[in-house]
Amino acid sequence: MDILSNLLMPLLNLELLFLIGAGTFAGIYVGAIPGLSVTMAVSILISFTFSWEVYPALALMIGIYMGGVYGGSRTAILLNIPGAPSAIATALDGFPLAQQGRAGEAIGIVTVVSFIGGFIGIFALGAFAPLLSDFAIGFQPRDFMLLAIMGILLVGSLSGDSLVKGVFAGAFGIAIGAVGMDPLTIQDRFVFGIDELRGGISFVAVMIGLFGVSEALIQMHSIHSPAVRQRVAGIIPSWAKVRKHLPLGLQTSTIGTIVGALPGTGGDIAALMAYDHAKRVTRNPETPFGKGAVEGLVAPETANNAAVGGAFIPMMTLGIPGDAVTAIMIGALFIHGLNPGPMLMIEQPDMFWFIVGSLALANCFMLLFGLTGIRLFVKIVELPRTVLLPVIMVLSIVGAYAINNSLTDVYWMLGFGILGYFMRLYGYPLAPIILGVILSRLLDDNWRRAIISEREDFGAMMMGIFTSPLSLCLFLAVVMILVTNTPWWVRWRARKATGQTVAERQDHD
Amino acid sequence: MRNIVCGAIVALGLAAAPALAEYPERDIQGIIQWGAGGSTDTVSRSVTPHAEDILGAKVILQNVTGGVGAIGLNQAERADADGYTLLFGAENPLLYKVMGLGQKDYSDFVPINIIARGIPILVARPDAPFDTFPEMVEYITANPGEIRFGSTGPGGLPSVVTAMINEKTPLDVTAVPYDGDGPALTALQGGAIDVMPAVLGAALEPVRAGNLKAIAIFDTEGVEQLPDTPAITDTNPEFADILPWGPFFGIFVKAGTPDDVVAKLTDAYGQAAQNPDFLSMMDGRGFRMLSLTGTEAQDFLDTWQSQTAWILWDGEIAKNSPEDFDIPRP
Amino acid sequence: MDMPPKRRPGELIFNVAIMLASLFLLYSAYGISGFEALSSPGVIPMATTAIMAIAGVFILRDTLRKGRGDQSLRRDILPAVVVVPIVMILGYALLLRPLGFLPTSALFLFILVRFLSRRSWGFCLAVALGTVIVIWAIFRLIFAVLMPQGIVPEGRIVAFITSLF
Repeated sequence: MDILSNLLMPLLNLELLFLIGAGTFAGIYVGAIPGLSVTMAVSILISFTFSWEVYPALALMIGIYMGGVYGGSRTAILLNIPGAPSAIATALDGFPLAQQGRAGEAIGIVTVVSFIGGFIGIFALGAFAPLLSDFAIGFQPRDFMLLAIMGILLVGSLSGDSLVKGVFAGAFGIAIGAVGMDPLTIQDRFVFGIDELRGGISFVAVMIGLFGVSEALIQMHSIHSPAVRQRVAGIIPSWAKVRKHLPLGLQTSTIGTIVGALPGTGGDIAALMAYDHAKRVTRNPETPFGKGAVEGLVAPETANNAAVGGAFIPMMTLGIPGDAVTAIMIGALFIHGLNPGPMLMIEQPDMFWFIVGSLALANCFMLLFGLTGIRLFVKIVELPRTVLLPVIMVLSIVGAYAINNSLTDVYWMLGFGILGYFMRLYGYPLAPIILGVILSRLLDDNWRRAIISEREDFGAMMMGIFTSPLSLCLFLAVVMILVTNTPWWVRWRARKATGQTVAERQDHD
Repeated sequence: MRNIVCGAIVALGLAAAPALAEYPERDIQGIIQWGAGGSTDTVSRSVTPHAEDILGAKVILQNVTGGVGAIGLNQAERADADGYTLLFGAENPLLYKVMGLGQKDYSDFVPINIIARGIPILVARPDAPFDTFPEMVEYITANPGEIRFGSTGPGGLPSVVTAMINEKTPLDVTAVPYDGDGPALTALQGGAIDVMPAVLGAALEPVRAGNLKAIAIFDTEGVEQLPDTPAITDTNPEFADILPWGPFFGIFVKAGTPDDVVAKLTDAYGQAAQNPDFLSMMDGRGFRMLSLTGTEAQDFLDTWQSQTAWILWDGEIAKNSPEDFDIPRP
Repeated sequence: MDMPPKRRPGELIFNVAIMLASLFLLYSAYGISGFEALSSPGVIPMATTAIMAIAGVFILRDTLRKGRGDQSLRRDILPAVVVVPIVMILGYALLLRPLGFLPTSALFLFILVRFLSRRSWGFCLAVALGTVIVIWAIFRLIFAVLMPQGIVPEGRIVAFITSLF
């Protein structure tokens, strides 16, 4: 009874209902504009809601968080400029759809599957939070290292035409991520005596440059050709279409929840892993991946929204943030005189159920606001590009500056914008660069921690991997991904597949 | 071109309007050295609204992170010394010179308020085979190299505390570095490391829940939040001469800021730090309030720097000798 | 049936530059800590830059195998509609600190929109000022991002606006 009243509290209290709704609405735009991030919005809200009660403050933050994670997909689909790192994979298949005049349809399906993914994450939070947090906290440095290696191997499915260029791009990304002062030893890496480089290169600046400015430069080539007319029919996907992708959505939501629950990994990695998973399990997509496959939208968008609920799991059970946004929310709870930690759930269970209820409500608002107004939104693509592209460039600049209030980030952003332009022209895929930057620290830090823990003994580290069930599973997954990427495996499976279709045809005769 | 002219006209108009001579006449920029959600951020964001009420101006807080806080410090140092740029920082800049991280530190600034001090605590994973500091020393001596200490990189709190322990009783442990005490305490709860010198506030909640075991308060007296945990000087009085020691938070403006501005800020933040809501928040986080101003604050900084810099130099962690920077040996 | 892919103008130079940059970074990564220990901070940088350099060799080999295409640098790689924005971006970066965000952005938008669209001066001015004001309102007033101030005393303008209420 208590649980129910707390769960329903945000719904029954008009003020909270309004705040969650307003937060979700604002969040969609915060997420959609490259350079405005949920992390930024939530840390501003700490000061803004300082004198408020804790529940309204949380309601607004949760709304922004949920809306923002979803909103990143908007500009990814419409302009090929992901509004947030977790929408990078969405652009791969979303933008081709927009070029075919099917942006409305793409946004429609993304909205529905985001809602489904969001709910699975929230359900996992409500039902299995203690269980999942025990699992997540058991990850040792060697497990994070294996997870990072798994992530790096995604380069294979993000590379497009040229694997070797993808490998180059991925390695380049890892190197970018290593720039600056190494926090573990305070040793400078790739700093070349420049003080501004000590702080490293912000990966959001890299992303805005590679996907914002360089995309704008590429689109300059066709600036005078007419914009693609967008179809506005069939925006809300049919039940049959949703059901067809439901099994994949459930799998990728699980990936999203778990990756979200792990401290130190969030929706960005989850979305890329889910995209790779979709590519692996989808035998015959209606449209090939990279050309507008619906599966390529379903996977990342279910995963990044599921990661929201996932990120709250360690936060609510242990006071450990699941990602950057929950880290700030923990700070907000402190400021409001609460002490998030393992005791919070025991001493104040109402807080837990209130958050679950607010998340669920924000998820519903997301569906509502997501599905209305699409027609208006897709008109962005039909705006004159002679105006749109310069505005995107200025937005990119402000966004890069806003990450850390630093002009250095702006210079990097512009530099990567110009570099990205040439890389695109010469056939380099850009997504692996971002993948590399995201995973760089995870890989580097945990490799070193794992080997330091064993006092530089590589054999002992491998023994550790083989004797822990979790590490062994992850290790086998890495091996499997490697094997299935080899030419022999691909040939073997192709042979098997033709054999099967022949057999099927014979059955039909 | 025309818009520059427009801007100039607006500027002239404003300048011609009756001058608001009294500081502050516009928004103040506050640079927080550390990221959103961290303890420096939490403390800065909770004290500032109270000070804003007294100052009658907004303080726009921004996190400028990176380089162990050096990026934010340098940015505040580059601004004009007019009191419109505040620096919210922790103890780290006092070690930049000896750690070879930069040539600027708090000597280029004037302290407005040294708000509070954190209390170090030694925590272990709950199933660690020892309960007290002497037992831990005994276990490590019997099993050299087996115990893993969490650390946050050279110059961080764990490295200083470990250096202090090593100065009294050399221990053979493996130091595993994490980026911040949050991730390290998470790893401690997951069993990836065995012991971690941390700040009380960060370890308090997991200790109360039994997810971590408190070994000793690394201070001269115990704390009310954990009445059963002894102070280290109770079991090992030899630590008394280097304690109390702890990380701190402070607010600074660039040296050369007019005295009346410094006085106004000092007064505002001094009052803000006495706000009951703020005090109870700080208490809940396990911080010890200091609220030092003026020469008291400067003396605190000097003592802290000389003590810590020499511990790090003697522990062979520092890159440069404190002597090179005229930091006297305590 | 497929035509063998042709080399694009500048592709060879770009890939050679990439290759040389990778080698330079590899050298720099070696300088971090050498082969001191498995856990030293230079290990992953060395590994990744080595992979970059090796991938660079393969990319270069593939490029050399391709025949020369019939595209031209001026038309397909660096047409005026791309060169002008790139030059303006560089100009923007140079002027941002001394001039401040508001004038630099307005100027950038004004010239670029005028160059791209060839619409009337009034239209371009309206777009430039309108966009800058909207962006400034969102970022400065709502998100409290203090952009470089430069020659426009926006702190005083904000103080003036708030003093009206």
